[in-house]
Amino acid sequence: MLAAPWVCRSCARSLRRVGISQLIRRASTEAPARLPPALLERARKLTAEHDQLSTALENDFDAKKAKRAGEISRVADALKQFENAKAAVGELQGLLESDDAEMRELARDDLEATNTQLADSSHSLSVALTPKHPFADMPCLLEIRPGPGGTEGRFFADTLFHMYQTYCANKGYRTRVVQYEASDSDGQTGSEGEIALQEAVLEVQEAGAYALFRGEAGMHRVQRVPATEKSGRTHTSAVAVWVLPSFPENGTSESEADWENPESDFYLDPAEVRCETMRARGAGGQHVNKTESAIRLTHIPTGTTVSMQDSRSQQRNRETAWRLMRSRIAQQRREAREETSRQLRSSVLANSQITRGDKIRTYQYQQDRCTDHRSGLDAHNLPDVLRGGETLGRIMDSVQTWLVNKDIQALIADEEAAAAVSSKKEGKK
Amino acid sequence: MPRLPPSLFWRARREISPMAAQLLPACRDLQSAANELRWIREHVQDTKSPIPAGLRVWQLVEKRGRGIPLQYVLGTQPFGDLEIKCRPGVLIPRPETEAYTLHLASLLSQDQPPPSSLSILDLCTGTGCIPLLLLQSLLASHPGTPISLHGIDISPHAINLARANHAHNISLHHLPPPSSSSPSTTRLTFSQLDIFSPSLIPHLLQSQPQIGELDLLVSNPPYISPTEFIHSTARAVRNHEPRLALVPPPSTGGGSQQQQQQGGITTEFHHPADIFYTRLLEIAATLKPKRVLMEVGGWEQAVRVIRLLEGSSSGVKGYGTVEIWRDEPAASFSSSLGTIKEEKVVVGGREVVVRGEGRGRAVYLSRV
Repeated sequence: MLAAPWVCRSCARSLRRVGISQLIRRASTEAPARLPPALLERARKLTAEHDQLSTALENDFDAKKAKRAGEISRVADALKQFENAKAAVGELQGLLESDDAEMRELARDDLEATNTQLADSSHSLSVALTPKHPFADMPCLLEIRPGPGGTEGRFFADTLFHMYQTYCANKGYRTRVVQYEASDSDGQTGSEGEIALQEAVLEVQEAGAYALFRGEAGMHRVQRVPATEKSGRTHTSAVAVWVLPSFPENGTSESEADWENPESDFYLDPAEVRCETMRARGAGGQHVNKTESAIRLTHIPTGTTVSMQDSRSQQRNRETAWRLMRSRIAQQRREAREETSRQLRSSVLANSQITRGDKIRTYQYQQDRCTDHRSGLDAHNLPDVLRGGETLGRIMDSVQTWLVNKDIQALIADEEAAAAVSSKKEGKK
Repeated sequence: MPRLPPSLFWRARREISPMAAQLLPACRDLQSAANELRWIREHVQDTKSPIPAGLRVWQLVEKRGRGIPLQYVLGTQPFGDLEIKCRPGVLIPRPETEAYTLHLASLLSQDQPPPSSLSILDLCTGTGCIPLLLLQSLLASHPGTPISLHGIDISPHAINLARANHAHNISLHHLPPPSSSSPSTTRLTFSQLDIFSPSLIPHLLQSQPQIGELDLLVSNPPYISPTEFIHSTARAVRNHEPRLALVPPPSTGGGSQQQQQQGGITTEFHHPADIFYTRLLEIAATLKPKRVLMEVGGWEQAVRVIRLLEGSSSGVKGYGTVEIWRDEPAASFSSSLGTIKEEKVVVGGREVVVRGEGRGRAVYLSRV
């Protein structure tokens, strides 16, 4: 008996061809195993600086120097590992040409393992070389707002809000609901009791939360049959998630978080911010007894507004509003800066910037699927994702890896561009 | 008050909660009904009681729905960073008072050189909110400086509540306990005294000899005339807050003493709402504080008080700076565009600086 059904000759031939072509991998999503010389040069420079600093530190301690040394020690360690691996590969290559057959056999066995080690260490070196995001150590604010469209998007915004909240609870991150405002339009609830959300801000108070969540910023698309839909059509709507660095409440000495410093992204000139309180009708003072404590801030140059009415204390509302305003402005400034530096770079990185406009993830209810469009990961347990379970963690990790790879690519492009410019200058001389 | 449309109740019931609909008659709009309901729920969550939470929320909502001010229902009102207890019979602290008190504290902290000691007198103190908030701000800006604050009110309820508020904010760690900050440096006292009593000034001079000069006299006196009380106060204020703290007494007992002492002024016609200011200026003329701040009911009253200043005895003429502060005096102060927002008006031949935004809220005199 034949194992397979009969297939005609021409079909079999075409099938065979398809099979062959599928086995060839034409593109690589991995980071390049071979480091560009410009990057290596930079790593060597930093390592030299590190050695110099550590010898200086042995003699006398200086907090500033120690901090810098700590920052670049990562690079020095990674470079040491990389050079060790490279030396090992060279040695093995030498052994391969030896006369002893047994020796060659051993070398060939070892070479494979050492090669993967080399690739790993070159990757970790490039990770170490990528500058840390200036806000990476900060806690963050997750701002969730439904996109234009009907209540369906609002319901999904609420779902997302609870997804992040439970994810943080599962991971043990401390969170605080800064703002949670239902829309005024109608009182219906979604299929799982979601309310129509207008705007929500969740603060993740863990240090370094910004680095964890920065991949979440962007448009989240949902495709499902809404509870309100009668004829069973799938609707597509979108929810915008913004991730802002949260300005810590008690001022730290970090230069980025120091909002008094005009150099900082968080600095706001009080003259540029208009503060409005909701005034009572009538004469005010002893004549009325109002409980409205709402505060609205407007940043005049950018037109950004923040309104806050959560607390009974006007004072506290004002503080919260100022913090939120600082975070928003800092994010805008950073985005603007990234935009200009992106334009300076080549178009290789055109898709890598995360801004508000890009659609980053799709939640498909019918297919029980959640797809991240950047890392290309398909996760097939949507309920677990929405419960903030491990599947969401897996997606976020994949985005993290993607972001790191993009950063490395950007760094390589930058270094090569810089090298090209300097070599051109030398050529002119 | 216009009638609320039934659709509003319907929407409150459907969109927020049936309890929000119950709050609507007092709150008048959906947003504040939703906010107040949330605050009531938070209050019930934060405080412990053997009564089930749901029942307590319902009870509080029912009380608030009857028009009782939220501050009396919950028992507290945030004031700056402090939490001030409120009880029926004592005026609830207003946000305008909070705004000018904080501005005043920032003015005192900008004094160059920093004063070696501070002495502050608050007349008609009520819940004690002004001296308590001043104390908190000054402890932060003047650590180690001896500060003496004295609050005076005619109502025994108010004095009891002011003392309770001091203890309450110490227990909340908003203010330091008296033992830790060495009792000799900070002193906060409240005493029940009648401002119009002729023995007040001798008493004050006698009780504060060691402090010497008074740095600040601040007062939020009753300033609503009986007609205004009927026509322009909010219903919650009229029905539930003490009339004693809002409307000056008709010029009988207190007024006659005033006539005896200050014959020159009382021959002129006085607005029934301004009785307290005549007396306050008289006290200022004797005690000679460096700064005086008086809350007023609006622009017209502020102008009338400045006119009173012109007509009064020579003691109060030494104040070189006369200002009218609006509801948010800091609004222009913190900005670099302040020079644009700062207006100047001429009242009775005297140039008066106007600060901030909103309605006329306080008259500020300074000889610094």
